[in-house]
Amino acid sequence: MAYPYVSDREVRVISTQFGDPEARTLAGAKQRGRYQGLKTALGMSPDAVVDIVKASGLRGRGGAGFPTGLKWSFMPKDYNKPHYLCCNADESEPGTFKDREIIRWDPHQLVEGCLIGAYAIRARHAYIYCRGEFFEATQVLARAVEEAYADGLIGDDVMGSGQKIDLTVHVGSGAYICGEETGLMNSLEGRRGEPRVKPPFPAAVGVFGMPTTVINVETLCAVPHIVVNGHEWYRQWGSEKSPGTKLFCVSGHVRKPGNYELPLGFPLMDLIEDICGGITDGNALKAVIPGGSSVPLLTAEGCRSCALDYEGVSSCGSMLGCASVIVMDETTDIVKQVRRMAAFYAHESCGQCTPCREGSIWVTRILKRIEDGRGTEDDLDTLMELTAQMVGTTICVLSDSVAAPVQSSILKFRDEYLALIRHGERVGTA
Amino acid sequence: MADQTEFPETVTLTIDGQQVTVPKGTSILHAAERVGTRVPHYCYHAGLSAPAMCRLCLVEVEKAPKLLPSCVTQVAEGQVVHTQSDEPLTMRRGVLEFYLQNHPLDCPICDQSGECKLQDYAHEEGRSHGRGREPKRVFGRDDFGGDVLFYGDRCVMCTRCVRFMNEVEQDPRLTVVERGDRSIIDTFFEEGLEGTNFHGNVVDICPVGALLSKDFLFKQRAWDLGHTDSVCPNCSQGCNIELHTRDNLVQRLRPRPNLDVNGHWMCDDGRLDYEWINRGDRLEVPLVRGEKGLHATGWEEALAGLAKELGAGPVRALVSPYLANEDLGAVRALVDQLGGGDLVYRSRRAPEEVVLKGFPKLARRRDLAPNVNGADLLGMSRVGDDNGAGGLEALASHGGVVLVVGDDLEDQSPTFGEAAALYVFLGAHSSAAASHAHFLLPLTTFAEQEGTFTNHENRVQRFWPGLAAPGAARPAWLVLGALLAERTGQTQPTRPEEAFAAMSAFGAGTYEALGTQGVLVVPSTRQEPARAAGD
Amino acid sequence: MSSKGPGDIPFHNPGWAGNTGEFDLTEDQVRGDDFVGSRPLAGAHPAGAASYPYMLVEKHPESPLFEGPYRERFDKILTRYPDARAALLPVLNLAQEVRGHVSPEAMDRVGELLDLAPAYVRGVATFYTMYNKRPVGRFLIQVCTNISCNLCGADEVMDAFLRYSSTDPGETSEDGEFTVMEAECLAGCGFPTCVQINSRYYENVKAGDIPSLCERLRANGK
Repeated sequence: MAYPYVSDREVRVISTQFGDPEARTLAGAKQRGRYQGLKTALGMSPDAVVDIVKASGLRGRGGAGFPTGLKWSFMPKDYNKPHYLCCNADESEPGTFKDREIIRWDPHQLVEGCLIGAYAIRARHAYIYCRGEFFEATQVLARAVEEAYADGLIGDDVMGSGQKIDLTVHVGSGAYICGEETGLMNSLEGRRGEPRVKPPFPAAVGVFGMPTTVINVETLCAVPHIVVNGHEWYRQWGSEKSPGTKLFCVSGHVRKPGNYELPLGFPLMDLIEDICGGITDGNALKAVIPGGSSVPLLTAEGCRSCALDYEGVSSCGSMLGCASVIVMDETTDIVKQVRRMAAFYAHESCGQCTPCREGSIWVTRILKRIEDGRGTEDDLDTLMELTAQMVGTTICVLSDSVAAPVQSSILKFRDEYLALIRHGERVGTA
Repeated sequence: MADQTEFPETVTLTIDGQQVTVPKGTSILHAAERVGTRVPHYCYHAGLSAPAMCRLCLVEVEKAPKLLPSCVTQVAEGQVVHTQSDEPLTMRRGVLEFYLQNHPLDCPICDQSGECKLQDYAHEEGRSHGRGREPKRVFGRDDFGGDVLFYGDRCVMCTRCVRFMNEVEQDPRLTVVERGDRSIIDTFFEEGLEGTNFHGNVVDICPVGALLSKDFLFKQRAWDLGHTDSVCPNCSQGCNIELHTRDNLVQRLRPRPNLDVNGHWMCDDGRLDYEWINRGDRLEVPLVRGEKGLHATGWEEALAGLAKELGAGPVRALVSPYLANEDLGAVRALVDQLGGGDLVYRSRRAPEEVVLKGFPKLARRRDLAPNVNGADLLGMSRVGDDNGAGGLEALASHGGVVLVVGDDLEDQSPTFGEAAALYVFLGAHSSAAASHAHFLLPLTTFAEQEGTFTNHENRVQRFWPGLAAPGAARPAWLVLGALLAERTGQTQPTRPEEAFAAMSAFGAGTYEALGTQGVLVVPSTRQEPARAAGD
Repeated sequence: MSSKGPGDIPFHNPGWAGNTGEFDLTEDQVRGDDFVGSRPLAGAHPAGAASYPYMLVEKHPESPLFEGPYRERFDKILTRYPDARAALLPVLNLAQEVRGHVSPEAMDRVGELLDLAPAYVRGVATFYTMYNKRPVGRFLIQVCTNISCNLCGADEVMDAFLRYSSTDPGETSEDGEFTVMEAECLAGCGFPTCVQINSRYYENVKAGDIPSLCERLRANGK
């Protein structure tokens, strides 16, 4: 199945069913191997499942890149308190669109991952926190969950193992900050989705005050494959510290935007030029954001030798984040795009911490003023200082995310700012 | 095994170069206070939960990757903390800049000026120049109902008020609405704070001038006010308060912390009922009735004359539960010296208590006077109805000595005491029912004297004078003590603590033992009720 | 109208991810009503009871909260959480489904049903973008103008919608049909520009598509 573009350089582990409507039904999913992993996991102890995931080196695919097996091992190893698994399907990072496709095309893979994860962390209830805007995806998922319940894959006696695991599809209502781990937990509890101070950590005090683990959709979808095929198999791709495959969401000025599943460490320029067919209209590359709008920009030069794994992108001065590659060509107006990103953060800030609440809107207004041709060079210094004051002073890292595009664009594309400030000229139109 | 006293586990750490040892579980903020450093903070309050969201209390902890909020970070053994080094000072200055960015320049018209945490911190640690060129956001003024006004522009979103209503009053009337830079405090549309009984406390805890008292609006400047520790006179809870005074008037009442009595709080009924203390129609000089009517006289002359006449017959005395323990004790001593007699008081009583659910030790009690328990402990009996009226038939027509101390006799007719052989009226204000009094002697109110009250649970608490007494008004214990000395030849108490120590009902305690937080009196020391001397 | 197959797409159909040239499925196969779009009002299995779409096309602002099949769905939602507070978001979604927007009276009623203070419900409802605090048009059009779509002409798409409906962002057109708003990233970045209209996503929308798209909406309701 082609969806909508495929490349034969892809290594499809999670995205094998993209574009195949049959896979959404339970019968179709089972034909395609779904729930084999669950069967295998139920034959092991929960700690053995955690060990496999640990050994595989799988890292969280939601942006933080924290080792998943290690995260699961923080949970208490008993059933004294109810444990909860929360699947973070609140995908709102600009540039990211992988989780929606996973849920739309292969919901049973996600359900299976949730069940294995719940079993491993000794949770009796798993919540899939879906973004409120995902009506279609949520309905597909709900239907899959219903089928799974009817088939005894979820419920009081999972696959006849005697284990009781329940699953609920919970729907959010439009807040990016609910994709943050503790914001998600607060939102699930029916509160304003404001992040919590850590410590205490979710594995100690999470949702409803109980031990909780929050995991991204893509991470959970890798788990059944790892359980079935073993940790060595997963490590055949990627590097020592960044093993496995990743769904790269490519958007912006490329001929073939979309999701491509590739081994970690794939060269960025290969992704853009070969797999995605190069820049639209044959334009020159100007900048790339390799990991969603919360990470620093890279110049075309900075992309040249960039390998797309956690260490590789870090060494180029940015972060892999959720691997959402936003490609900007020479027609791009960098100042406008940075202002739009800052406006996004200002709109989505929860408002608890003053540096973020006041800083994000202040930064946006200064950028708008510069964009309108009424900026000064002092404004650039102010922007650098204000964003520096926003890094490391808040409960969550949304504040730091404002700093990333603003600071990196001022450092790397200063001439675009100066053109507006000195001559009122915009460089680029897009 | 031998008796082992359990000490809490302690932790030793270094703050700003000084070593300090504190109980395990203490926050760095509190530990810093012990070495004399006050770390700026908004959202933390000792009586509320700590969300660590104002980001102002950031301190540097060696080996930690970033600055930590000291209000929630617990101390650890061997920790090295810097609160005044470059990094935290720079970051706190940055956070303060963000606070000031949208804050209106309202200091000239803002009540909080002079007691404002934003002024204080900005002065101590903030930037000296603002660099915001963007227009400030505007929310305007909102009437939250009750006594509270909300100036949204000034709000720093610390959410102390929201958490107070949620956790302490447990009537969630306030909430944060919207998100991000649009977020602001509001109520459920027009519902407001009507019907809540402790909402005045949100004005106290608001660190800036966003929540203001309508009663106090534009009334006085904070730096002009004198502060005096006192006890609330409006019910028997005995909340520890401060009188804030200027021009010899009480301008407002504020609670002061006492974790055994009122926490950090007080009720709205008590808080807003202080104008009676400022009544201007005072008795100011001793008045003696002669052939030509009342004439003013000095204390010596009045007391000398009165002392001679006191033996004129059996005594019936009426006191007030607004009198201090010392005053009531002096009445009791005098009545006993005169052979004993009826000792009664009247007080208003509410139909029910109003408990502060999140701090149940505090309630607006049924007895709406501060020293009902003091009167009870001294063997005095309550008469009259729940409006503090009636119950004085025997007194009104008594033929012997009628002693009225502190009760205004508002509900009594001008014929009160006309049959009395000697009618002595002591009080702060005159009364129509004192028109047959032979002696009218001016007393101080509780706000003008030092003394103690006994609250509903028999806790004796000290209060201090915040106002100067008008004219020649004196405390009742001094006046009656002088009378007693005249009659017995013993020395009179010249200081209130001597008057307090003289009372066996209070275990002959000392003021020093009472301290600033009060001490519970054991009820078994209650004096037997005075025997009536017969009529 | 659906496309006929790869390489033969006479009508650029803004409506579903895949119309980028190589996809060989029809819209019905991907999004047909038999798979997504029509669900029992009472919710089927409780595990998915929170997840049905709000049918903003038909709005009944006076409807009771909750009766009949909606009451069944409400009860099912409540069983999924250890305390009633956690059901607040799905229940507010349900109230919006029934009435079209969340009014103060709805907040009060939901608070009553879940034993939560109305001020608290207001605080939560105003935090989240998707709760409409005022009535909206028959079609709530949310255009993503965030970076990935912005690079590919989202501002023009937004302007085209605003011109067509003759409204300002957030306002409802005079005939009560269209409310146009900017949205943040809708997670359709690979198919710019992504537009959400009521419950449905429309991908690969170009400014020139708007008139025919809006005519289709008026005619078919989706």
